[in-house]
Amino acid sequence: MLWGLSFARQKLQNCFKFTPHLAYRYVFMKVLIVEDNKELASGIYDYLNGEKYICELAYNFEAAREKLSLFTYDCILLDIMLPDGNGLELLKFIRQENIASGVLIISAKDALDDKVNGLEGGADDYVTKPFHLPELHARLRAIYRRKKLEGNNLVVFNEIVLNTDTVEAMINNTLLDVTRKEFDLLLYFVVNKNRVLSRQSIAAHLWGDYTDNLANFDFVYQHVKNLRKKISAAEGVDYIETVYGLGYKFNTSKT
Amino acid sequence: MKLLNKITLWFIGIVFLVTPITMVISRNNIKKHLDQAEIERMKAVNDRVAQQLRAGEKPDRYTHGRPIEIAAVPGPIPEGKVETKKDYAVAEDLGQKECRITVNSWYKVGNQYYKISSYNYVIRSEEIFRGMLGAVVWKMLLMILTVSITARLLSRKIFSPLRHTMKAIHRFDLKKKKKLQLPETNTTEFKELNAFLTKMTDKAVEDYAAVKEFSENASHELQTPLAVIRSKIELLSETNIDSVQAALIGDMQNAIEKLSHINRSLILLTKLENQEFKVSESIKFCRVAKDVMATYEDWITMREIKLTSSLDKNIPLSIHPALAEMLISNLLSNAIRHNRDGGQINVLLTASELCISNTGLPPQIPTCELFQRFKKSNQSADSIGLGLAIVKQICEVNNYTVVYDYADGWHSIRVSFYDKEALSVNGQGALSGADTMAV
Repeated sequence: MLWGLSFARQKLQNCFKFTPHLAYRYVFMKVLIVEDNKELASGIYDYLNGEKYICELAYNFEAAREKLSLFTYDCILLDIMLPDGNGLELLKFIRQENIASGVLIISAKDALDDKVNGLEGGADDYVTKPFHLPELHARLRAIYRRKKLEGNNLVVFNEIVLNTDTVEAMINNTLLDVTRKEFDLLLYFVVNKNRVLSRQSIAAHLWGDYTDNLANFDFVYQHVKNLRKKISAAEGVDYIETVYGLGYKFNTSKT
Repeated sequence: MKLLNKITLWFIGIVFLVTPITMVISRNNIKKHLDQAEIERMKAVNDRVAQQLRAGEKPDRYTHGRPIEIAAVPGPIPEGKVETKKDYAVAEDLGQKECRITVNSWYKVGNQYYKISSYNYVIRSEEIFRGMLGAVVWKMLLMILTVSITARLLSRKIFSPLRHTMKAIHRFDLKKKKKLQLPETNTTEFKELNAFLTKMTDKAVEDYAAVKEFSENASHELQTPLAVIRSKIELLSETNIDSVQAALIGDMQNAIEKLSHINRSLILLTKLENQEFKVSESIKFCRVAKDVMATYEDWITMREIKLTSSLDKNIPLSIHPALAEMLISNLLSNAIRHNRDGGQINVLLTASELCISNTGLPPQIPTCELFQRFKKSNQSADSIGLGLAIVKQICEVNNYTVVYDYADGWHSIRVSFYDKEALSVNGQGALSGADTMAV
């Protein structure tokens, strides 16, 4: 049985590898957004809606608990500070009820112990306010990959195949010689395709929140340039375009 | 100078000043009384002689051997009938200047007036003085001794509340949020002082807590609106915008980036001040350093900086891993940012210290000031000026010392993990044997 399952997966992966364009499909993810700030919640909603995800909003602890009891979600975005309770309590509830959703915690407090509390409590990842929406999305997708696609480590778009386990990028079935940062960058682009990615958001994604990103923009430029060069050299389509004054965009309409 | 010594000195000074005056006064008094007694005695002798004269006896027997002169004088006799004279003359028998008191009395015996005069030598005031001087020297010595000793002994008792208060103030730390505890005293001045200090420190503790709470809350409360702005701008940049609008949005994104970074750094500083990073186990500092250096490799390459590193192995330190990472990361990113293209960076890690030095422009302000918040050598620079403040705070929390030096075009920041060894360890020596790693 086990052997059969792994065999099936192997087959699935092989099929992705050899016919990547067939593997590209929309992810119909169902997300519950638990956030008491309505503007922020609507911002997240709009962004995720643009990815064709099915999103629902809960502005407080009770509403979230009710929704969680009635429906199932693939992922839950969870704010720690809620007007009528603590997000970590909700996390406990999720684990008690054996709800198999992935949980991404959003918190204003980036206290390291909060992070540990959240992760020990069964959360899958953690973002700190103020976050970049593409970053939130990338993390959400990573959770989804891990939890719902049973650890499927392939991210595929047309001729591009990214293996998140081995950190290998393939274009037209040829291995692309990319650094870790370039791989992360490409993954970030593919996950947030057709989105304007600001230099700030890219810098934060690649170097984290605590490094002083202000001086890293030239660096972002350099990495993007190198990546585009490598993709072009592998005869891949140069999907990445510069958005004047803002940053970059992975434009899928390019051929 | 100690208060006690000051008071003692003043006291002794006053004694020195007053003693000569009292000496003169007492000498005069003694002299006066001695003279008076002598005069009274001689008057009585004169009266006695006069009585004998009146009785018709010959006073020879009585006057014999005494310095009495009886002379018959023609009248009239002077008003007071008695006259005293004091003169200083060289006595024939003693051969030195002596004070002689002569008492002349006039009597009328029968029809004849007599002048009876007696004289005697009395102690001169200088002699009294000389006698007193010895005593006074002893008296002074005794006084100085007793004053010094008793002042010390007594002050221990009397000033003990003050000493306790001072100790308490010395130990008082605003950051510990503990109220000042002062001992009870029944001295009015100390009571007032203690009451005043207690009131002042309580207020300071209260204000400090309020300010801290405010900045903490403000920083946290700012995170959500910042997240709203950032997400809305990101959504806005996805809409149909022209290049002018794009430039405006780009500027806004830069500003928000800066704002959120400042905010995050301030929260971190507050957390550091609140000692929220508990250390449970020691970490391998060398490994952290290696990891951090790896993350900055790209940036260093891009700026064509030559990185030389010498990392000793197996350096366990008890520091929170996130803080260790932040410490090295802040120092290294500073060394890259404030470097010139094609410059150099040396990273030296030994068991006792971490020294990161880099080439770069000379600092515009004293290097020690660069550890203050929002202090930048170049005010227009694209950093927020909190990196070194965080480094300093991390060092303070972990009892490390951090020194920033600039010499010969090299900026070097030295973090000593152990205070005592900071001086004896010479970082330059170890560098010569370093394996050079050019990136």
